[in-house]
Amino acid sequence: MENRKIYNRISILRIEKSISRKELAEKIGVNFQTIGYLEREEYNPSLDLAFRISEIFELPINVIFSTKPLKPLSQLLIE
Amino acid sequence: MKKMKSLNKRRLGVVVNLLSLASVVSIFEYGVIEQWNTFLKISGFTAIIIFIVSLVATFIKTGLWKFTHKPLRNLDEREIALTSKSLRYAYSIFTITVLILLLSFSIIEKPVNIVLVVALILFAHLLPSAVIAWTEKQTENE
Repeated sequence: MENRKIYNRISILRIEKSISRKELAEKIGVNFQTIGYLEREEYNPSLDLAFRISEIFELPINVIFSTKPLKPLSQLLIE
Repeated sequence: MKKMKSLNKRRLGVVVNLLSLASVVSIFEYGVIEQWNTFLKISGFTAIIIFIVSLVATFIKTGLWKFTHKPLRNLDEREIALTSKSLRYAYSIFTITVLILLLSFSIIEKPVNIVLVVALILFAHLLPSAVIAWTEKQTENE
């Protein structure tokens, strides 16, 4: 079975919260390189990891992750 | 561009490393069949040096060695997935290589020597890291 690409807003949320990749990695218990892979959407996180990320950003999972390309937040604000 | 450059560099490192390992075995085999001379001794020694240097540069300095030589609890989920993928490929490559070698040695009725066995043990340990080095876009220390 081929995995679907999971789109995410980790990069923008991390910048908004002013935390580095290393800090985020320590908080969710992964290697900092894995954050890079997640932000570039080159790796689909497990459900457990997705929940951990959503807990850090205090947002529902479906706001951070999607199976369809995510619209930029600026566009969403205009809409 | 930078990523592509480092990937090519790593692939070159893998090729040099495995070729130098094969060279050590070949030189030893040749030395046993023929007579050991100065040229063979220097070539063998050079191949060992190249092997060690490429091993350090390609696998140890880049942090690739850790994937298959660290306890699972010290790896995150992406690293575990990467390791299991590399082990799957490495297992196939290693099995086929060893079976071909054993078959060839039995056809030519030659005993398997200790240098070949040591080289195969090293090969078994190197292969998973070599697969990761060959396929990963970026490593920890790049």
